[in-house]
Amino acid sequence: MAKTGMERLKELEKEIYKCIHCKACRFAYSGEPSREGIGEFTGKQGTVLYEGMVDACPAGIEYGWEAFWNAGKIWIARSILSGDLEFSDEVRDVIMPCITCGQCSAQCENKIPTVDIIESLRAACVEAGVPMIEKHQLVDRLVKELNNPYGGKAEDRFKWAKDAGLGKYINNKNAKVGYYVGCTASYRQIEVAIATAKIFEQLGVDFTLIEEEVCCGSPFFRVGAVDTAQELMRKNLEAFKNLDTVYFSCAGCYRTITIDYPKWMAEGEKLPFKTMHAFELVSKLITEGQIKFKPNKELKGKVVTYHDPCHTGRHFALEMEQEMIKNSKNLMFDMRKVNKAIDAWFEIPRVILRKLEEDVGIKFVEMYRIKNNSMCCGAGGGVRAGYPDFSLRTASLRCDEANAVKADILTTECPFCWRNLSDANDLYNHGMQVMGVLEMISKYNLLDTANLK
Amino acid sequence: MSYKLPDEKDLDAMIGIVGKDYATNNKAITASYLSKSVMGLEAQIPDIVVRPKYIEEIRKILLYCSAEKIAVSPISGGLSGGFACPTIKPAGVMLDLGRMNRIIEVDTDNRYVVVEPGVTIGELWAYMHKNYPEWAPPVPDGAPPASTVMGDAIDRGFSLYTSSVGPQGDNFMCGEIVFPNGDIVRTGSWALPFAKPFYKYGLGPDIWSFLMGSQGALGVMTKVAVKIYPHPKFKTVVVWGMSNPEDMQDLTLEIGKQEFGIAHNTVMVQGGNYPLVMTRWPKDKIPHDYEFYEQLGISKWWMNWECWAQTQEELDYVVNRINKMAEDFKKNRAKDPDSIKPQELHPKQIASRLKKPNKIAVPYSFWEAGFLFITFYTPWNECAHFAKMYTAAMEKYGFPPVMWIASIERCRQAICMPIICFDSTKQSDIEKVQEMNRETTEYALKQGWLNYRPDPYIHAPLTYSQAGMYWKYLRTMKKIFDPNMIMHPGRLALP
Ligand SMILES: Cc1cc2nc3c(=O)[nH]c(=O)nc-3n(C[C@H](O)[C@H](O)[C@H](O)COP(=O)(O)OP(=O)(O)OC[C@H]3O[C@@H](n4cnc5c(N)ncnc54)[C@H](O)[C@@H]3O)c2cc1C
Ligand code: SF4
Ligand code: SF4
Repeated sequence: MAKTGMERLKELEKEIYKCIHCKACRFAYSGEPSREGIGEFTGKQGTVLYEGMVDACPAGIEYGWEAFWNAGKIWIARSILSGDLEFSDEVRDVIMPCITCGQCSAQCENKIPTVDIIESLRAACVEAGVPMIEKHQLVDRLVKELNNPYGGKAEDRFKWAKDAGLGKYINNKNAKVGYYVGCTASYRQIEVAIATAKIFEQLGVDFTLIEEEVCCGSPFFRVGAVDTAQELMRKNLEAFKNLDTVYFSCAGCYRTITIDYPKWMAEGEKLPFKTMHAFELVSKLITEGQIKFKPNKELKGKVVTYHDPCHTGRHFALEMEQEMIKNSKNLMFDMRKVNKAIDAWFEIPRVILRKLEEDVGIKFVEMYRIKNNSMCCGAGGGVRAGYPDFSLRTASLRCDEANAVKADILTTECPFCWRNLSDANDLYNHGMQVMGVLEMISKYNLLDTANLK
Repeated sequence: MSYKLPDEKDLDAMIGIVGKDYATNNKAITASYLSKSVMGLEAQIPDIVVRPKYIEEIRKILLYCSAEKIAVSPISGGLSGGFACPTIKPAGVMLDLGRMNRIIEVDTDNRYVVVEPGVTIGELWAYMHKNYPEWAPPVPDGAPPASTVMGDAIDRGFSLYTSSVGPQGDNFMCGEIVFPNGDIVRTGSWALPFAKPFYKYGLGPDIWSFLMGSQGALGVMTKVAVKIYPHPKFKTVVVWGMSNPEDMQDLTLEIGKQEFGIAHNTVMVQGGNYPLVMTRWPKDKIPHDYEFYEQLGISKWWMNWECWAQTQEELDYVVNRINKMAEDFKKNRAKDPDSIKPQELHPKQIASRLKKPNKIAVPYSFWEAGFLFITFYTPWNECAHFAKMYTAAMEKYGFPPVMWIASIERCRQAICMPIICFDSTKQSDIEKVQEMNRETTEYALKQGWLNYRPDPYIHAPLTYSQAGMYWKYLRTMKKIFDPNMIMHPGRLALP
């Protein structure tokens, strides 16, 4: 193993000691209390005033105690480092129900990498011999046995491709481009996998599905089972090593392989391929004028909103920011560049949605909390597996926000967000359709590739 | 004074009062309340945390803890850092009042809003902005949005209106207090059952004022009526730069004396020196030489006047008057006339300075890892002396000389706040901070300057050692409300 959780935690000591316990990190738009909003809305989870700053840490909202908000966890980490507190079941039970959504990090003016800290704390907790919660133990066992946390058989991983007539892409030897499908789209939201693969096909991308693909390790990095996660990482690095580019349709896998792998790889080791999310490709082709969409009667006039998955949105933005801070010589000047790069990043999916508005006739409306201030769907960080009720209530809070802007369709770009939002939509009767953006494009056959070069 | 270490039986008693979901001795949860930053570096982890919702629950908790001699530390938002935590061991019970978060009443004729302790300034600001856009509460200007109006009352802090209308403590009209002897007292006009909270000095001597600055050491405040003020649309910020604190002090005083005139339009008058800009960035990622800041148009010292007026005409008048007075000062009385110049602000800079509440003071940890605000009150015309003394001390101890100064009540007093940016991972840095703190406090007391948020180990003992009679009476009066001295022991060096 390259690093232990405790080693990572100690590396982060200075970041942890930067925290002044100012609690700004509990609110979206914590620096904008006068921000114009959409007023008060009473949804399935209660009433929220979408004006100015709004509580946006799902763990804090759910549990209330200081320990569950980010600032509390940072001071728990500090107490662990200073010896005022030891790892125990009590510590585990407050640091685990956190979605690692990173909204806290996005608010912090001291630029504290809160998600890194929380994940290292979890890893150190597991190393200290505190047993993982039962549900996490179960998925850990499953992935060790079957290479996926859902209990699916390895040979069924690409069944969706065979069934959809896309079998020729499995181990397509000539392709230098891979599609990393991930466990959720392979075993659960196969619509996402099929839609993505079909879009690649329509765009003329010669891609391959790699049979040796295993779980990316995301849930295990998140819950502190870093041994398991690193074992999976090794397998994937070996399986995908000969490709130039790997595409993703899952926000979590994309984040894990792009951001986590390099952090946990040995000193000096680099990712052997470039990574890109499928929506980046589609967005780029729209900007270049190579593709557009066909009108669609069924979708025309439908109010569509977009949920930024934490893993493709904020986590990349935060990583960009940390990287640029690290390399900057004069941050006062470079900060403007950082902010510009972040804005541009969040525009990528919006290019697609605006084009859909223009060509297809949907009405694209934004929710109140978007981009870096987006409210999490509740699925990540091991929370959907470990704390399903909390996870679904959080998803329902997000659905409330979509209801507040009268959305007919709630779109996103991550099968894991899709699953959770969709389950909450059904369970709490939010009355919307939940859909992936690429899924919508594929399902309604919207792609017009006449100008494709 | 000795206190009991609360045990399981005491936790059960707390659970009996507030229910099992709102009292705990879970070690991870109690540790999460710790803070060694902002105002105080020494703090203890509470043994039990209780989150009451109702006044009656608080009354029962205080009566129980008083009978058992268990220390009680109340917090509203907990943003005063170390000051929000217990100071002693056994640390006892922390009362987290965040669940009491109702905005109870807004009265725009009598101009007050009634809030409970857990109402954050961010929430109140957004609520007023949405529902009463023409009125605003006196939120602490630089405090982050999770701080509370109540906490700021008790800390009698520095708000966005303080430069114009006076100390923050004066903005609180009436309050409701639960004392450890079990009494619930309503102050000011509120002492009468049917009275509105319209008059602070209600039925003779004012008990509320006695609690201003009490830092939780006397009783628990459960409701407060705070003044609201007009929030006109016509606002701007005027800035003049200079090379030294004396010119900053003298020019500002001249403008501050324009009472019943422009001085009342300058809601926020605050300034400082260029390290205030520098230390908001990481130490190794920003130039340290003044030349860099000079090229950006930042003077070595400067003063901001945030001006509010009811019409554009009035605002223009205020801005012109300030500029004319500054020109006149430059020509006729300045120590270094060449250095005195207006600083042109980009509209975005003005907008960002007008933003309330904001996170402007949060990133001083970015410099290294941790910071401390040490705050003194001086007569306005001594703030330059203070600034020179303190910046020299900071340099002597190897800290960047960061100084923020603001006017209270049209330059009757100055709030002078050096920001000590240091590396809190290093014990040697913490010791240096405290050494400097002691040295500067001794000097300040000799000048008659007050530490306005005294810490329990240096400021309070040094201050009270020079004011024995006052301390004797504080203790005597505390005994009336808090016979077993359970409220936030040590915080004001009172037990
Ligand atoms: C970055 C930063 C900037 C700041 N800038 C400013 C500023 O511009 N102006 C300013 O005035 N302050 C400022 N502060 C200080 C502080 O945040 C504010 O004074 C704030 O309003 C305190 O409110 P709180 O609820 O967080 O107080 P707390 O920390 O909860 O409490 C403050 C004190 O009062 C006691 N107390 C709290 N509630 C009660 C109660 N209900 N009954 C009895 N005792 C109680 C506590 O024990 C503590 O000693 C700043 C703080 C930070 C971190
Ligand atoms: S993490 Fe940042 S925003 Fe949150 S309490 Fe700490 S310093 Fe404040
Ligand atoms: S990562 Fe998300 S859930 Fe976890 S503490 Fe931060 S804001 Fe809360």
